[in-house]
Amino acid sequence: MRKAADGDCRRAKGQPDRLGHFINGLGRGGAGALLFGIPMLMTMEMWSLGFYIARERLLVLLIALLPLLVLLARRIGFERVSSWREAGRDAIVAYGIGISASAIVLLTLGLITGHMSAHEIVGKIAIQSAPASIGAMLGRSQLANRTGDGSGETEIETSYGGELLLMATGALFLSLNIAPTDEIMVLVYKMTLWHILAVALLSMALMHGFVYAVSFTGGHELSAGTPAWHAFVRFTLPGYVVALAVSFAALWIFERLDDRSALETLSCMIVLGFPAAIGAAAARLIL
Amino acid sequence: MTRTTEGRHRERHDPHWIEWRTGCISALLVTAMIGWIAYEAVTRQETPPELVVTAGRSEAVAGGYRVPFEISNRAPTTAANVMIIGRLAENGRTIEESQVLLDYVAAESRSAGALLFAENPAGRTLDIRPVGYTDP
Repeated sequence: MRKAADGDCRRAKGQPDRLGHFINGLGRGGAGALLFGIPMLMTMEMWSLGFYIARERLLVLLIALLPLLVLLARRIGFERVSSWREAGRDAIVAYGIGISASAIVLLTLGLITGHMSAHEIVGKIAIQSAPASIGAMLGRSQLANRTGDGSGETEIETSYGGELLLMATGALFLSLNIAPTDEIMVLVYKMTLWHILAVALLSMALMHGFVYAVSFTGGHELSAGTPAWHAFVRFTLPGYVVALAVSFAALWIFERLDDRSALETLSCMIVLGFPAAIGAAAARLIL
Repeated sequence: MTRTTEGRHRERHDPHWIEWRTGCISALLVTAMIGWIAYEAVTRQETPPELVVTAGRSEAVAGGYRVPFEISNRAPTTAANVMIIGRLAENGRTIEESQVLLDYVAAESRSAGALLFAENPAGRTLDIRPVGYTDP
């Protein structure tokens, strides 16, 4: 989808066009941040998390987000990027859009007021900026009009590690939406271990089905002669492990695992792993 | 590696050994996880919640005294709406009662909270215990 020649061509047209293009990208980023961030911005648990979340866990979230954003930028940046440096720039811009969009919406909804401590305000905005910045990045790819660049050789290769990181991003996005709510805990309390087991198997089946069996645009095909179980072992199983790891991280960040036995922790991971697995599979389709 | 052409992705036929290595480790992890849960599901007895409260040391706070406590549930079932009552008694007569409602005490897990009293618990008998719960 990306061509080096495309960038050169645009550069030749001069500054005003580049600026317009960039502002266009910013607008799409803002729209994406709102579109993908609104569910979390309007979740009650997220408002209170802003002041009680442990700062070191928030820091982990904010730092872990950066490499994921850079990778996303590399795939679907605001402009067609050809170097990691440009991807880094796009990632920071998306982060900035995420922070601004969160701040504006929280202010408008009356969730940030003058008598709150700076600690609380910063916490609230910071935690919302994570999904909003992923949304800002996705806005570029999902809201862009794709006309005018369909010609020519459009082939990219994603390394295996990149593919797993993409899955992690998709998993993180959906986990972030669901981990802070109480529903995960309530579900775990109500479910028996047999239910948990069924959810684990269903997650893996859906992950594999989404990417290989169902013929979505962006679905993956196997080269002729490759048995189906190859893809299951090489992509779906590692993808599910990535989804579970991300779900563990999200639960840890939102302090859902403190003082819990190992089996309870695993149950929580698997229940949150269900949306995470769907997010991971969707990331492979969409991006 | 995955090759993307015109929006279609195609898995490469000649994977790097690291893909198989990762795949095998993942398969092991997933099998172990499923095996463990299945084992627990078969062997575990669904006993009712077993709640044990341990009270901490009381300390003076603004307007009274605070007694932190920890409640643990050893059973594999979760208790919801756990009501905890603390009775402060002197010479066999209850002089103050405080209570708190915990949303959940998860299976095989601990929760913590605190009861607040106006009278000083030091030197008096304090009894903190769960008085009831609902199934989640």
